[in-house]
Amino acid sequence: MGQITLSGISKNFGAVQVLEGIDLDIRKGELVVFVGPSGCGKSTLLRLIAGLDKPTGGTIAIDGRDVTPVPAADRGLAMVFQSYALYPHMSVRQNMAFGLENAHLPRPEIDARIAEASRMLEIAKLLDRRPGQLSGGQRQRVAIGRAIVRNPTAFLLDEPLSNLDAELRVSMRAELAALHQRLGTTMVYVTHDQVEAMTLADRIVVLRAGRIEQVDTPLALFNAPANVFVAGFIGAPNMNFIQGVVRGPVEGGVAVTAFDGRVVPVDAAAGALAPGDAVTLGVRPHHLRRVGPDEGLPVTVHLVEALGAETVVHGRTAEGQRILAVLAGQEPLASGDVIALAFERRQTHAFDKDGLRVAGN
Amino acid sequence: MKIVKSVMAALALGLMSSTAASAGDVRLMWYSDGVEGEVIKDLVGRFMKENPDVNVILDNVAYKVVQEQLPIQLEAGQGPDIARVTNLKTIAQHWLDLTPHIKDPAYWQANFGNEFDWMRPDGSKAITGFMTQITLTGGFANKTLFEQAGVPLPGPKATWDEWVDAAAKVQASQKLPAAFAIDRSGHRISGPNVSYGANYIKPDGSPAPVDAGVKAFAEKLVKWTAEGKHMKEVWVSAAGSTYRAAAEDFINAQIAYYYSGSWQIANLETKIGNSFDWVATGTPCGTKGCSGLAGGAALVAIKYTKNPKDVGRVMDFLAREDIVKEFTERTLFLPAHKGVIAKGNLDFKSNNPAVKAALQKYVAATADIMPAAAALPAWKWATPYYGALVTRISQVMAGELKLDEAFARMDKDIADQVAQAK
Amino acid sequence: MAGVLGRAAGVLAAPVAWAAALVDRPMRAWQNATGTNGMAAVFLAPNMLIFGVFVLFPLVINIAYSMTGGTALFLPDRTFVGAAQYERLLSCADYTDPKTCEEDQFWIAVRNTGVFVVFQVALMTVVAVVTALILNREIRGRSFWRAVFFFPVLLSPVVVGLIWRWILQRDGLLNAALFQLGFTPHVWLTDRFWAFAAAIGVSIWAHVGFYALIVLAGLQAIPKDLYEAAEMDGTKPGRVFWRITLPLLMPNLLVVIVLALIRAVQIFDEVFVLTGGGPGTSTMFLTQYIYEVGFASLLKNPGLASAASILMGGVLVVLTLVQLAVARRNEAKGKRQ
Repeated sequence: MGQITLSGISKNFGAVQVLEGIDLDIRKGELVVFVGPSGCGKSTLLRLIAGLDKPTGGTIAIDGRDVTPVPAADRGLAMVFQSYALYPHMSVRQNMAFGLENAHLPRPEIDARIAEASRMLEIAKLLDRRPGQLSGGQRQRVAIGRAIVRNPTAFLLDEPLSNLDAELRVSMRAELAALHQRLGTTMVYVTHDQVEAMTLADRIVVLRAGRIEQVDTPLALFNAPANVFVAGFIGAPNMNFIQGVVRGPVEGGVAVTAFDGRVVPVDAAAGALAPGDAVTLGVRPHHLRRVGPDEGLPVTVHLVEALGAETVVHGRTAEGQRILAVLAGQEPLASGDVIALAFERRQTHAFDKDGLRVAGN
Repeated sequence: MKIVKSVMAALALGLMSSTAASAGDVRLMWYSDGVEGEVIKDLVGRFMKENPDVNVILDNVAYKVVQEQLPIQLEAGQGPDIARVTNLKTIAQHWLDLTPHIKDPAYWQANFGNEFDWMRPDGSKAITGFMTQITLTGGFANKTLFEQAGVPLPGPKATWDEWVDAAAKVQASQKLPAAFAIDRSGHRISGPNVSYGANYIKPDGSPAPVDAGVKAFAEKLVKWTAEGKHMKEVWVSAAGSTYRAAAEDFINAQIAYYYSGSWQIANLETKIGNSFDWVATGTPCGTKGCSGLAGGAALVAIKYTKNPKDVGRVMDFLAREDIVKEFTERTLFLPAHKGVIAKGNLDFKSNNPAVKAALQKYVAATADIMPAAAALPAWKWATPYYGALVTRISQVMAGELKLDEAFARMDKDIADQVAQAK
Repeated sequence: MAGVLGRAAGVLAAPVAWAAALVDRPMRAWQNATGTNGMAAVFLAPNMLIFGVFVLFPLVINIAYSMTGGTALFLPDRTFVGAAQYERLLSCADYTDPKTCEEDQFWIAVRNTGVFVVFQVALMTVVAVVTALILNREIRGRSFWRAVFFFPVLLSPVVVGLIWRWILQRDGLLNAALFQLGFTPHVWLTDRFWAFAAAIGVSIWAHVGFYALIVLAGLQAIPKDLYEAAEMDGTKPGRVFWRITLPLLMPNLLVVIVLALIRAVQIFDEVFVLTGGGPGTSTMFLTQYIYEVGFASLLKNPGLASAASILMGGVLVVLTLVQLAVARRNEAKGKRQ
């Protein structure tokens, strides 16, 4: 129950190609997050799964049944909208009952489901209020409640937390995670916030310009991004990218000339790269550590952001390459200071001239 | 009171369309049934040539304006200096006594005196204007249609029933929408009412209740409408006392017989041309007579004029015998001027022999006017009586009232008007 | 173009500034003397004066007229009769049967107006909603169709009446078409039922575009995702309309209904040209009754007409108050959301 398969999905609006070549297999009970920059097609993809739009090409199957020609009302899915889309003229109870009345469920059954869901979401006291009388967080829970009572095959959530303030967002995130644990129903979640993706997802689908860049668990995406885009998108602050040229093979990898002629060793499969090949190196800000002078890369500090638990340092190398480092604790640095940074070979990512991860890296 | 009156007048001035006349200006409000507009324009132009110090401003308006808007203007103490009016008696208090302003009151009395009572309050001796024409109600028949249907035209003493039956035969044969039509007007049916013995006027001059004569003709008219012989739209497609003429229907050969009056002659001649032959028939007979109703429009001077002297000069010119004769000949009207009638030899400006024949017929028909009809133009309750007749009969035709209810209502409507004026 | 405008602005700048400077000192002095409220009063005065002279003053005079009798049109020449005109208007043996009333034409007009208002407003609201629903969809040439529906609203009522009279008269377009199609023509405007139906139909045709526009605005204010949520909830289209669209449209519909009521009570122009109040008096409405009795009829009675107009005005005042209450309620609801 709740297994969704997308095969060869494409969607265009007139001349604009919004989605192309989407193949995805969502397992039952999974919480899959679609993430990507604005305009990447994640919301469109969600709406295609919901049935609110029809794909231009490809098929969608739910639990093995082809639902591409089936209208939204009959797919057995429930959606939580970004704007909640609560019926403003009905009470919370009526909002939640509406879909069930459409299915002609008996009254006792409807009341039971509403009672259960409102208890779960702690909105039992709000049942007779109108949406206009609720706060943002309360409305969000009602929207979720409306979806829960339907006992759907899967939940579809379209950026449900983006209208909430930062504090509420954090607590609601935890609640959603707990809810998923409890219900065990498949959830397809769309967000542009990669922190939400990282914390909630069983698997993340990274989308860019209508294509899937990579599908994997959050940690796998973090540790082994398939290309430059995913590497830069996942993880905050963004990964540092440094251009370099392959010099020659070394044990287990290649040597790359980067910065002002420094040689940086990276892991690579034999034969994956040839000398003279252009290569992009990637190092996460958290993987840079401060070393003594002459032990590492000299970086001139431009901006220091002291966050208390860690310090974010913006700097430039001698060649003008920007470097961002996140150092633990509180470093007494000021703009203009020169510090030396070093990083581990096994934490250095390498991407070839097409931006793809180098084999064996 | 004076102040209030002048303030009100000033306000009314702002609201009404007539602007103040300055010295030397004479405003003449005129309506036309046919070609009179051209004729009066010409005559007025000639007057201004002979009298360059007087500027006559001619306002050609629709009959409705004279009927409905002029009385309001007069009540506000405004209005033109001279107007051509048919509703002469009821609002006679607004007419100016021209006697001090005209050259020769005796000439006026001799030639127009017969009708002076039609246009002045009871008991007054004022000379307020003169009749531009005498009109007489009467019928017109579409000779061509009758011929095509093979129905002979009824004779001179034919009754209403005979005329309607003949027209009905023509209707059936020629597939006409209706056999005949009478204008939607209480004035128009008063001649036939009197022909059936009606008398509206009690001996003391107050209105009499509707009598057997009125009822007889009203019943017939309603019956003919129900049978589809009388063209229903004419009376039924308006409410109250709104005037509707059936001239267009006759001109378009939709009906075989049309009961209207002599003022239509010029209109018919212009619009029908050679399309078909038509004749005037006088008024069909009822049980007591074959009477039409005399009437006509008069040119009257308005009391509130600022230039009574100039008004007098214009009136004198237009009342001149040669001018009246020319007017009559060009407009194809029946003259009111005694001298013109007596001299005869009117050279009506029409190539159509039908016109001359029609006019002769009408002149002859004046002999058939019954006393009860002759008294009506000078009677001050005539207009309310006409209004009540037409309002209530059309309701019966539309199926809203029964005839008896209508008659009761008519008496009440007229009594209300009398009570109001007290 | 920009260059010309720029140059014009440059040329005008100096004289405008000079004129402004000229007026500045006296204006400031005046404002200091009378305060902002005083100045506002002076600027409002001309409009209030016009309103007073052309609306308020005639209204008061009309009330005075309604308590007088006699044939004179000039108020001071009339006789005071107190409430006699009202008494006459309102005296009926049986209020449901105009024939038993003293002033039967008045009650016929009242009854006609009542029936007209009920049917015309109800029908027009339905037509307006249906029209707005259709115009809200993504159909081809949508802007064109919106203009087409709104066009009759721009026509003068006399033109509207004439157009339809030419269509409906005995030798009009409708009968010609029916004849061509093999049906027997019917003289629509002399038939009491059809003339009344025509009055309703023509006035709906002439005004529905305006109300459809108001309803359309209301429709477009309903967020699209409510419909999507309803779709996800598995709602059938009929239920979507009854349970979602209609309740959310209610404020707009109330406005439409009250406005339509106020206008329907005053119906005159189109119908007068179309049927003249006929056949008989079957399409004679209150305004025409007042016009006839006050001005046009050969059986004039200005005092009676004034009394009738005051009574009619009373009804309109009630409706206007209802409209104000509805507007205030909508505003409050809007603020809360």
